[in-house]
Amino acid sequence: MTPSAVGAPILAIQDIHKAFGKLQVLKGISLDVKEGEVIALIGASGSGKSTLLRCINRLEAPTAGVVRFRNEEITAANLNQMRREIGMVFQRFNLFPHLTALENVTLAPRKVLGVHPAQAEKQGREILDQVKLAAKADCYPGELSGGQQQRVAIARALALQPALMLFDEPTSALDPELVGEVLEVMRELAQQGRTMLVATHEMGFAREVASRVLFLDSGTILEEGPPEQVLENPKQDRTREFLARVLNRA
Amino acid sequence: MKKEAFTYPTSLGLQSHGAMRLQQFARRMGACPGLLPRLPRTVEAVRPISLLLSAVILFVLLTSRAAAQSSLEQIKARGELVIATDPTYPPFEFKVGDKLQGFDIDIGDAIGKQMGVRVRWLPLEWAGVLPALDAHKCDLVISGVTITDERKKKGLTFSRTYFLSGQAIVRRKGDTRIKSLQDLKDKMVSVQMETTGQFALEKIGVPRSHILKFDTLQEGLLDVRNSKSDACVADLPALHENLRQSYSELELVGGAFKQENLGIVARHDEPNLLNAVNLALEQVMVNGDYAKAYATWIHEPADTALFAGLDKVKGDGTTPADKLPHGAVVAVAENAADQATGAFAIKWSLLREAMPSLLRGARVTLLLTIFTLIFGVVAGLVVALCRISPFAPLKYLATVYVELVRGTPLLMQIYVIYFVLPAIHISVDSFVAGVMALSFNAAAYISEIFRAGIESIDTGQMEAARSLGMDYPAAMRWIILPQTLRRVLPPLTNEAVALLKDSSLVSVVALTELMRVGKEYATTYGSPTTAYLGVAVLYLAMTLPLTYVVRVLEKAWQPISRPRAGAPAIPVVKEAAQA
Repeated sequence: MTPSAVGAPILAIQDIHKAFGKLQVLKGISLDVKEGEVIALIGASGSGKSTLLRCINRLEAPTAGVVRFRNEEITAANLNQMRREIGMVFQRFNLFPHLTALENVTLAPRKVLGVHPAQAEKQGREILDQVKLAAKADCYPGELSGGQQQRVAIARALALQPALMLFDEPTSALDPELVGEVLEVMRELAQQGRTMLVATHEMGFAREVASRVLFLDSGTILEEGPPEQVLENPKQDRTREFLARVLNRA
Repeated sequence: MKKEAFTYPTSLGLQSHGAMRLQQFARRMGACPGLLPRLPRTVEAVRPISLLLSAVILFVLLTSRAAAQSSLEQIKARGELVIATDPTYPPFEFKVGDKLQGFDIDIGDAIGKQMGVRVRWLPLEWAGVLPALDAHKCDLVISGVTITDERKKKGLTFSRTYFLSGQAIVRRKGDTRIKSLQDLKDKMVSVQMETTGQFALEKIGVPRSHILKFDTLQEGLLDVRNSKSDACVADLPALHENLRQSYSELELVGGAFKQENLGIVARHDEPNLLNAVNLALEQVMVNGDYAKAYATWIHEPADTALFAGLDKVKGDGTTPADKLPHGAVVAVAENAADQATGAFAIKWSLLREAMPSLLRGARVTLLLTIFTLIFGVVAGLVVALCRISPFAPLKYLATVYVELVRGTPLLMQIYVIYFVLPAIHISVDSFVAGVMALSFNAAAYISEIFRAGIESIDTGQMEAARSLGMDYPAAMRWIILPQTLRRVLPPLTNEAVALLKDSSLVSVVALTELMRVGKEYATTYGSPTTAYLGVAVLYLAMTLPLTYVVRVLEKAWQPISRPRAGAPAIPVVKEAAQA
């Protein structure tokens, strides 16, 4: 399914490099993302998927290169402003364990946007309903399953109504039987026309939901295109090898 | 007499190398005497750091000297004479309830009356008495201090002799092995640490391993009573008083074997004050006040030698013992201990009597702890945040502070804050100084607890908060610190309990907290068992509720105790709460 509502460019990445000491993780990545696009980042562990996502919202500062969000360069100075518009979902959820599900969702709107607590709570409950967790609003993360925690984490990112959502292998830390409920929520977000960058090993999800698939290898984009092309008729040997490994595993 | 450090030149040879260098250093720099050799008396281990302390105090002396003018005019102007004493030394100075009593107290009050001013007594732990004189916290010291050439050389000045005393031996009743000083050569002998008793034993060649040094005389006597030591050597009047009170199993061996003269101590650069004190003392000695005090506390008429040779009694500590008029005192000691019940028995009536004072001490301890905890936690948190700050100078500064405080004894920090700060014109009262010193110290330890707590929080928490657009302070405030606080509660409780007990160290700056009250009762009534039982009960009464409250808090905060992202969650919460 290819979303039709692809619109104006929202994110432009130009020749991003990232090194940790001597280790070159990203070796010049450029990418343009348009509004409404769902881009799946695939590739082996260590290929740079996570680092690319983390360079976009500057959890890691790129060694070189520029990231523009709505034509404005993301710098250390405007970081907090930019991050409000770029939601992020982590592999390990990173929910705040001392807060209930609802408080996890409402904290940022209250403290960052200054939304009135009553208003934030109303919105928070709506968003939790969206991820089908309205009943768990008052549970602490420790009382939720992994799939439920990840859905709360998605709701937490959505609460700021971001224009772009980054998903860093959101189902990799889940037990297999819990993966489906998280992908289901993400599928719905895609259908609503959300702009999403998803690092994932779920090839079925990529094929079904993504408008574009990027295959990362050793810090570069080796191959990119529509899912049916990259996933079914890859041009590169490395892509073929990778897909063979991933599909055999499943 | 009591608390004598360097009476005999020969005793110097027995001091550690460090201590000797310390003396030479002090002498060369013209340091106020008495202070340096006396520090070790409190805790032996303090000796190495006293070098550092001496440097600090020298600084004070050098800077404060300019400001110091003749105190006599100031005393007359304010109508108040401040005298420091260590009131754990019956019959000379001790406390009954909150009231100072004893021979020295009566003499001091009488001198004040002669000078036409009222006397304010500053009760201090012995280790703080002479530093207080140096730091101008008091005008005089009357605390059973022996006049010695050593001290004079170091610049302390003494009044004329106001009491003749001497060293004597105590043994268990009927222990005929011990008849004289020479018999102690191969025995185990207890003494009060750093007193002339100790040096007399060292001089006749008793091996150091046979000399058992105790903090107070009462502990030394208890040791003889328990047959761990064979004898105890100490001041005759103090022995007499203690035997009479509590140690019916012990007896004196003859009279004093060594004369010592007691004097009133003044700062050496105040001859006017000293003259006034001497004049007043002579009047007190002839107008009947002295005789009355002597009869009250020494239980004998004052010996005539002191009066007859009023201008000749210039004590140098060398008069042979047989010329001393001590027969009368010794005679009383023979029929001592009639009403004694023994040092071991728990005297319930004493405990009842002491309880109001102990409770007041406990209140001081509790207030000290509470204030220190408040300041310590706030400052500790700030220091911890500085230590993990990416801003290098802040980080460096905080690290230096923590290492400095952790690496030096709390006792020294208390000294510095109370005795050194006045030199730069920051003079605070005892309680404030106590809270400052304890907070300064506790904050360093607490900051490490916080730092460890903050660093134990998964980095994903900070990343998640920052990715939501929170700035660093907001992320700290709403995400990291709430989790940290819950996690550091147990070690923080530990610190609070330790602090409650460590607060007893501030008694050196004249704070009468719980432990100090206990010590005073132990010495005044010669019943350490009773006094310390009360102290222990009150400490427990404070620590147990504290730990209980923390347990309740920990339970209430349980839900967060498993921030294990990734692990499929089973609601262990309730089970954990029951554990």
